[in-house]
Amino acid sequence: MNPDMLMIHYGELSTKGDNRKLFVNQLARNIRHALKAFPSLNVEASRDHAYVELHEEDPEKVIARLQDVSGIHSISIVFKSSKDLDSLKKYAVELLSKEQGESFKVNVKRADKSFPMSSYDLACALGDYCLDHTAFKVDVHHPDVNLDVDVREEAAYLSCHDYLGAGGYPLGMNGKCLTLLSGGIDSPVAAYLLLRRGIRIECIHFAAPPYTSDAVIDKLKDILKILNTYQEDIKLNVVPFTELQLAIYKNVDEPYCITIMRRMMFRIAEGLAKKEHCLAIATGESVGQVASQTLPSMIAINDVTNFPVLRPMCTMDKLDSIALAEKIGTYEISIRPYEDCCTIFKPKAPKTKPQIHDCEFFESKFDWKPMVEKCIAEVKSYLLVDGVEKQFAEDSKPVLEK
Amino acid sequence: MIYFDNAATTSTLKGAEEIFIRENREDFANPSSAHAFGRGASKKLEEARESILEDLHLDKTHTLVFTSGATESNNLALKGLAFHYQKRGKRIITSSVEHPSVLNALKELVPFGFDVVILPVTSEGKVDPETLKKAMNNETILVSIMAVNNEVGAINDVSALARIVHGFPKAYFHVDATQAMTKIPFDYASCDLLSFSGHKFGAFKGSGALIYKKSIVFEAVNAGGEQEQGFRAGTVNMPGNVAMAYALHEGLKNLKEHEQSVRVLHDYLQQNLAQMDGVEINSPADGAPYVLNFSVTKKKASVVVEALSENEIYVSTVSACSSEEPVSYVLLAMGKSDGAAHNSIRLSFSSDNTLEEGKRFLEVFSTIMMGVQDR
Repeated sequence: MNPDMLMIHYGELSTKGDNRKLFVNQLARNIRHALKAFPSLNVEASRDHAYVELHEEDPEKVIARLQDVSGIHSISIVFKSSKDLDSLKKYAVELLSKEQGESFKVNVKRADKSFPMSSYDLACALGDYCLDHTAFKVDVHHPDVNLDVDVREEAAYLSCHDYLGAGGYPLGMNGKCLTLLSGGIDSPVAAYLLLRRGIRIECIHFAAPPYTSDAVIDKLKDILKILNTYQEDIKLNVVPFTELQLAIYKNVDEPYCITIMRRMMFRIAEGLAKKEHCLAIATGESVGQVASQTLPSMIAINDVTNFPVLRPMCTMDKLDSIALAEKIGTYEISIRPYEDCCTIFKPKAPKTKPQIHDCEFFESKFDWKPMVEKCIAEVKSYLLVDGVEKQFAEDSKPVLEK
Repeated sequence: MIYFDNAATTSTLKGAEEIFIRENREDFANPSSAHAFGRGASKKLEEARESILEDLHLDKTHTLVFTSGATESNNLALKGLAFHYQKRGKRIITSSVEHPSVLNALKELVPFGFDVVILPVTSEGKVDPETLKKAMNNETILVSIMAVNNEVGAINDVSALARIVHGFPKAYFHVDATQAMTKIPFDYASCDLLSFSGHKFGAFKGSGALIYKKSIVFEAVNAGGEQEQGFRAGTVNMPGNVAMAYALHEGLKNLKEHEQSVRVLHDYLQQNLAQMDGVEINSPADGAPYVLNFSVTKKKASVVVEALSENEIYVSTVSACSSEEPVSYVLLAMGKSDGAAHNSIRLSFSSDNTLEEGKRFLEVFSTIMMGVQDR
């Protein structure tokens, strides 16, 4: 007996009012796009559920792909039955006997009101039959297995197995966010959490060659190829940061270097975000993790922008972050030995409680504004589409001759 | 582009490329196959074997196993020989500046009860024959010492070391000659076993050999077919090995001439770098001209190498821009400071390099040394 279709249960959409149609349509588009590797599948989205007709495709493979699509709460495998009681009974027993557990419950929904039995009567009849023909006991409060029966005009649909989806909102419904990507463990996870919430991302990285290696850029590209699973096309903007970084280290007292550097990064990120039509900046910061991520540091750093700064990782322990990074597959790439910030620029005793007026004093000592503008103007961009790097048409810089 | 990383690998000789393509097209059969086509390929392989032995004047006394390179040759020589002759004794002697494929292969023998003795080296990176003499005893079955050090270019006195080893009838002398072949001649016949890679002298990556005295038997490391006298199972890379025999022949033929041209470049850079502020030369004065190792005393070597790389100048460093920085165990063994060992840069040359390239290197290097931040 092969399953006939998948039923997709929406995530947090149920709270939406008039906008609901927009969310459902966006999700349907995203699902169709995610399933383009299975051309025979047919996706239909209604107000409450979406259906995928399987046409003999392996449901496990399709579900695995759907679990990466944000906005889906869960997915169930559905069997189609004719609407006579005998075949419903037969299907119910067959389905239930494949499940693990001791107790079950039958839930009936009867969209077709012309069906001769009431929902309650049908649930009793099927429950009774299953009780006699399987080893399961009935438990209507905490069943191990829920057998759902949906009686509709054309047929009845049975299912008893649910797979959890990614949750969140359909990608594209919540605008675009410029995400700071360092190459460490946290920032790719932050990007993933944004994507899961339905926020499109674009990335910004600060490169300081020769103090940082070009290999970092390759590493970032590999990370974004993994994140392409959740967003088909991701742009990576690399900021040439060396000149500004050297100016900071020349003019600023060592304990404040990181604070000022982060302030400059936020200024550049804000400038680029506006240029790229991003509605927020995001970082992988977690409160207290390092000197620049204490709350006093965040006040001092955040002071340079009134753009929203999202910090999806802010309450996460490192171990939680590592576990998530391992789950999405970015961990192995993040731990490659190239660092984003060379040890030359690591102060021995960075300030954990920097003061805004001290920051402003140090920044008054050099003319950083043109350097910030130059950083934004000279960004080099890369585009990753479906795990492959694509060349930009506007990218006029020649490829390094070997 | 300026390529000063020839100790890592070289570009391939045109003649070697032609042979490789030709043999793959015309004689692609498996040399182990019984048909005429296979026998033809096998004949080519045997000619290559003979040619290498003849070029080294070892055809009467020694024979050769083709391998994938010196790492495999070293593993086969050390593990294969140790396991075969372990009843005679369990002491193995090596030096502290050997390539990891020697040191780590010997490390793997320790749990099997072998007594691995690691000799110190002089401040010039060489093994003092007297030190070896003191370490030898009747339990010693194997001594493995490199001909030329890969990091600093120090040259060992292979003949003198061999004489000491051969004073003990149970002991065999293995020489890792990877950085010496076609560059620094030595007394090949004094080695009982000799390892090298083809890709260090213009042949292809994936070709190499272990030469050994005909009387020596060792245990095969790979299980499989009976190729290469049963010592190295796996389909033999005939085109690669034929190309390697060619490259070795050409290299030996031009050894003197190449050495002279490389020495001009080496000496020019050595003299100029030695005068620069913040540079310390690590390579010994009497080392191979193909390698010039120095440390930057105020900069991070990884940053300097990255900056050179931006200028399309490719050199080598053990340092990396990470918090857990690797360090040169060779320089530490030579008694250099921790800072020097963390920040060394190796230039390694081939006869293709020119004095012009050396001048350009110095220009760019001086600019970088003035431009980049101190560490």
